[in-house]
Amino acid sequence: MAPREIDARRAGVGILIVFLAPALLVYAGFTIYPVLRTFYNSFHAIKPQGVVEFVGLSNFVALLFTDSIFWKAVTNTALFTIVATIVDVVGGLLLALCLFARAPLAPLLRVVWFTPVLMSYVVVGIIWVWIYDYDWGLANAVLHWLGLSALEQSWLGHPSTALWSVLVAHEWKWLGFNMIVFLAALHALPGEVLGAAELDHCGWIAKLVYIIVPMLRTTIVNLLVLSFIGKMMVFDLIWVMTGGGPLWSTETVSTYVYKRAFEWNTFDLGYPSAIAVLWFIIILAFIALMTRLLRQRDRLEF
Amino acid sequence: MATQVRFGFEQLRRAPLVLFVLLCTVVSGGPFLWVAAMSLRTTAEIFRDPYGMPSPVHWEKFVDAWTKSNYGTYFWNSTFVVVIAVALVTVIGAMAAHCLARYSFRGNRLVRFLILSGLILPPQLLILALFQILLDIDLYNTLSGLILVYVSTHIAMTVYILEGFFAQIPQDLFDAARMDGYSDFEIFWRVTMPIGAPAIFTTVTLNFIILWNEFLFAVVLLTDDDKRTLPLGIMHFTGSHQLDVGMVATGLMIAILPIIVIYAFSSETMIKGMTAGAVR
Repeated sequence: MAPREIDARRAGVGILIVFLAPALLVYAGFTIYPVLRTFYNSFHAIKPQGVVEFVGLSNFVALLFTDSIFWKAVTNTALFTIVATIVDVVGGLLLALCLFARAPLAPLLRVVWFTPVLMSYVVVGIIWVWIYDYDWGLANAVLHWLGLSALEQSWLGHPSTALWSVLVAHEWKWLGFNMIVFLAALHALPGEVLGAAELDHCGWIAKLVYIIVPMLRTTIVNLLVLSFIGKMMVFDLIWVMTGGGPLWSTETVSTYVYKRAFEWNTFDLGYPSAIAVLWFIIILAFIALMTRLLRQRDRLEF
Repeated sequence: MATQVRFGFEQLRRAPLVLFVLLCTVVSGGPFLWVAAMSLRTTAEIFRDPYGMPSPVHWEKFVDAWTKSNYGTYFWNSTFVVVIAVALVTVIGAMAAHCLARYSFRGNRLVRFLILSGLILPPQLLILALFQILLDIDLYNTLSGLILVYVSTHIAMTVYILEGFFAQIPQDLFDAARMDGYSDFEIFWRVTMPIGAPAIFTTVTLNFIILWNEFLFAVVLLTDDDKRTLPLGIMHFTGSHQLDVGMVATGLMIAILPIIVIYAFSSETMIKGMTAGAVR
């Protein structure tokens, strides 16, 4: 037998094709091709009955310079993304530290805190619409019980509170995920370092700031990027809870894309495609920026 | 005596921590228990006292939801779509991951880059064109069309997790298998698959849960009521029976329970799978 035959790292083209073709075909047909087609669409006006008309950059020009709803959506999405990403990472770390500090019943709590992550946005959204209900919702009931009746209000019905109310529901679903990732990272830290800090009578705040956070840097950066991507595309929860209202106060870029494509009677898929393309480029740019700024030049050895 | 005193101080210092942890648990678990209670009460009972216990317990509401409303159909549509999509994405994802992890060939990096770039593609970038494409090939408003879309959009994550795991299997095993005269497919089927079982289990549960909950693709690509998956069905039912809170709650529980069952059996593996990527 020739040695080539024995080398398990080599395979004939036929074998490679058989292994890769199913995945590549489905992926090319229903992911790569749609992406390319969306880019193509963004330079066209796509009317019903297959009417396609080349319009150059005019979709993008209209979007950037005359579409006030788009800018409202961008502002909302940016606010939502920045606040939710920070809450995700800081809150997740805080919760993980609680369990790491040997809170009683930690294994059970970990499971309970993680459960909302598994529920669909539709379920979470409906539950929170009920919680915010003006007449019988839990939020107002708790305020009433605490003697803070003055604060009772229609949380989702008012433009000034709607976005933040949705954000709370979003964090309710996602904090558990960040908690569990941080907890895994904390348990992977070398015990000797933390023990040494304890011997030096290092307070827990100092321990957190000077030891734990620097050692968790990779995890923190990963979670920041992950959260950021998720929040920039937020759609389901907003769609279920407010549909973008009241008065565009919860309109995000994703809900606006959906509305322009399927709800407004503009009958044009080109314009919403342009929004999706522009937004994707912005997301990519921010991911590149974040990883470049936050990446650790010299890896901590431990 | 002295140790007892110190014990007391320790407890006192930990009191804020315990209180905070308790509060978090009430906030994260409470809403679920509230919905669970409502799912067993009638709407009239709920409006009399929104936070009461279910007494008497109305188990028959689950039967009603299943038969009188369309939840039975929604449930089976979801099951059909998710089971087939997960089976397909697991098999073709594992084959691709095995190929990328095991064989060195020209274009290996390019294929890997193409597939993994799917990890950061926003669904909004695909959905408008997918709508057109499925219309073109007559798969719009069909469950098979949705299955194809689900498989395609979850190949990236599946290959990412499996390839990472498969690459760590020692090469010696494969060299030995090759010496013993195993064919390429036998190597995949009898070496990679059994050893990679934990990773495969992880991707199966993750994909199952993500797809069971999926909303955006389904809402764009399906229109008929008898084709709706559970998330769409619940949205539709809530829209048309806004005031029937009790029945909606029962529907929510029907959607949550399968996930809870899977979670109960695989929480450790699932958590490991979900954290692996981010901790490294």
